[in-house]
Amino acid sequence: MMLTLARRESLWGVAFISPWILGALVFTLLPMGASFVLSLTNFDPRYPDAVQSVGLANYQRLLTDPLVYQSLGVTAKFALVMLPLTLAVSLGLAMLVNNPRLLGRSVFRTIFYMPAQIPIVATTLIWQGVLNLHTGWLNGALAVIGVAGPDWLNSPFWVYPGLSLISVWGMGTMMLIALAGLQSVPTELYEAARIDGAGRWAQFWNVTLPMVSPVLFYNLIIALIGTFQYFTQAYVLTNGRGDPDNATLFFNLNLYREGWRYYEMGYAATLAWLLFVIVLALTVILFRTRSRWVYEGAAR
Amino acid sequence: MKRINWRTRVALGIAALIVTGACTSPAATPSSTPRPTGALVTAEPAKAGGLTSDGKVLVRWFVGLGTGGNPEQLGAESAAVAKCNAPDGPCTKSNIKLALEVYQNDVAYDTLATQIATRNGPDIIGPIGVRALNGFGDQLLDLSKYVQAKTLDTAGIEKNLVDTYIVGGKQIGIPYAVYPSYMYYNKALFKEAGLREPPHKVGDKYTMPNGSQVDWNWDTVAQVAKILTVDSKGNDATKAGFDPKNITQFGFDFQWTDPRGWATAIGGSGSAVGADGKTAQWPDNWKKAMQWYYDRLWKDHSAPTQDYITALAGGNTFQSGKVAMDFVHTWYTCCIYPGDNTTPVKDWDIAVAPIALDGKTTAKLHADTMGILASTLHADASVLAMNFIMTQPDIVVTYGAMPAKAADRKAFFESLDKKFAKLNPTKVDWQVASSMLSYTEAVNHEANLPNFLKSDAAIKQLQSDMLTNASLNIDTRLADLVKTLQATFGAG
Repeated sequence: MMLTLARRESLWGVAFISPWILGALVFTLLPMGASFVLSLTNFDPRYPDAVQSVGLANYQRLLTDPLVYQSLGVTAKFALVMLPLTLAVSLGLAMLVNNPRLLGRSVFRTIFYMPAQIPIVATTLIWQGVLNLHTGWLNGALAVIGVAGPDWLNSPFWVYPGLSLISVWGMGTMMLIALAGLQSVPTELYEAARIDGAGRWAQFWNVTLPMVSPVLFYNLIIALIGTFQYFTQAYVLTNGRGDPDNATLFFNLNLYREGWRYYEMGYAATLAWLLFVIVLALTVILFRTRSRWVYEGAAR
Repeated sequence: MKRINWRTRVALGIAALIVTGACTSPAATPSSTPRPTGALVTAEPAKAGGLTSDGKVLVRWFVGLGTGGNPEQLGAESAAVAKCNAPDGPCTKSNIKLALEVYQNDVAYDTLATQIATRNGPDIIGPIGVRALNGFGDQLLDLSKYVQAKTLDTAGIEKNLVDTYIVGGKQIGIPYAVYPSYMYYNKALFKEAGLREPPHKVGDKYTMPNGSQVDWNWDTVAQVAKILTVDSKGNDATKAGFDPKNITQFGFDFQWTDPRGWATAIGGSGSAVGADGKTAQWPDNWKKAMQWYYDRLWKDHSAPTQDYITALAGGNTFQSGKVAMDFVHTWYTCCIYPGDNTTPVKDWDIAVAPIALDGKTTAKLHADTMGILASTLHADASVLAMNFIMTQPDIVVTYGAMPAKAADRKAFFESLDKKFAKLNPTKVDWQVASSMLSYTEAVNHEANLPNFLKSDAAIKQLQSDMLTNASLNIDTRLADLVKTLQATFGAG
């Protein structure tokens, strides 16, 4: 039987993407299925013979576990500080290194991007020193201008700005993406705006922002997912305890503790599913509201 | 000359901030030896029935739950295994093949749990400390019959140490290494302050600066520690102008110890669980101990709080040379002079434990053992191999472990003298360490608790709170802890 050209091309297409399909099946869908099954058990890897089905008990426990609410609150609070900050700063930096009047643009782009290449654990250890109440240079610099620096890492309030500084320092990748967005804005639009008498602020508000909004949207989605998966910095700084006073008990850290500190794998799998549902819901909401604030050209 | 515009100035400022951040020393001082992670050595897979391909009984020795996972220790471990497997070695003679599996400590627990979950557990595990045993202790084989039959050699080990490992009526391990605690002190700092050194014999008095002879107890430690705590202007903590925000030298620290350890050393023996094994408690002597330590942290400022601890050699505070007294175990000899890039403590010695608040001299005890998983298919062969490992002198030396067998300790101390000969002008008085074995705690401060992993985490939270929060009410906080522990015990 002769296959049509379209059919043949489709089959070749499937053949070429089959490694990815296989990978997704084996390394993503299968573990997800296993994780769901685990969430219906009391599995503790130390006692494999004692595993029992517990039905929806783990899901019921979610509703009454104060640490779940606490960790969600911590994650939400951090997201409220982090997301606007990183989006604004990465766009600001991108605009700075995109400006033709900046001397040594390439050098600055490299310097601003460099921290993103440093492993997170090393970054965190460096910043643990920078933010130290007594010996950190940040408080040292503040002291020079007569300001008593806060306890960045041991105050339940200041720990969020402290962690945000660490994140801002290493956001070179977001800056690069924003820079790519800025470079794709047609210069004719600025020329037209200037002819119409638009000042810098009006150009930014009416031209730059709408034109880079798809890129900002992408950065927002990635940053949102990253915030809900936030783990390494909090783990390294507090040895996994969520100090001070559970102020850094991020959702993912709580999940890790249940699974790998307390070996409650069934409950940890349940937490993982809750995380999945929350991130999925937020992503869907963002996509659904996208048309209201993301400029997608004349095609829409 | 071209004028630099404002954008470039802003960019230069941001670049300077980024580069300055990167140039700051990390809070934790990395070891001079790069440490790999994960599995360092893995055993060959066994055939069905735990046999090797040539029909020998495969006995797997799992290392990493305590000491033993450092690259420099691999040589001695591999040599011991090779010796047992040599043609005339005891393993070969009994048709056994001993196989070594070594994991870094940070992954060892999860690896073992995974192996047990997949019914692929090893036979021998260890060295393993009391705390780690609490996580896997109920998985271990009862060794009583082997001890009674003398297949396992316990000759020369104090009975109280052997009995430490009777848990739930089962002998789950044999003491292999013991680590009593005592006071490490920086002689140079005592000399600089014009203070007499602390006593080296239990019962000896301490001579205060005014010449009075006082008991060497924790009140004395508090007074001496204040004199030894100095701010950046050179004022000690007894002076009116002392600035607690700029301390450069501390009088005392409890390095790498948790609240049960603090409570036992300062307050004397006790337990967080009542005699019935299910009621949470924090005994009065432990409450007083917590208040004592909290006062040193936030009232006298003679003990470093968390920010200072992080800044002092990444937490290795005594090594920083800026802590005058540090109450730690014998294993701490591992960590003095760890790298070429750190400024070492210059001249140090050890003194006996102060008299606890309950009137008894109390030394906390850490101990390492080896055990055999109850799931082993070859218990007798595993016991034979474990006995061989535990009697290899090179192994105990490479672990830096004070041997549980008294007769082996001389060689251990000689190896320490050799290690510190060029670095410490003082020949350390190791009899202090041996003498502390007669004053060990009545209940081990790391003893098991119901729902151990979560109970332990709740106690560790108290540690964080005390080290970071200046406005705690200790009585209220301890009442909260007992409540939390009771709920945790019940949920186990």
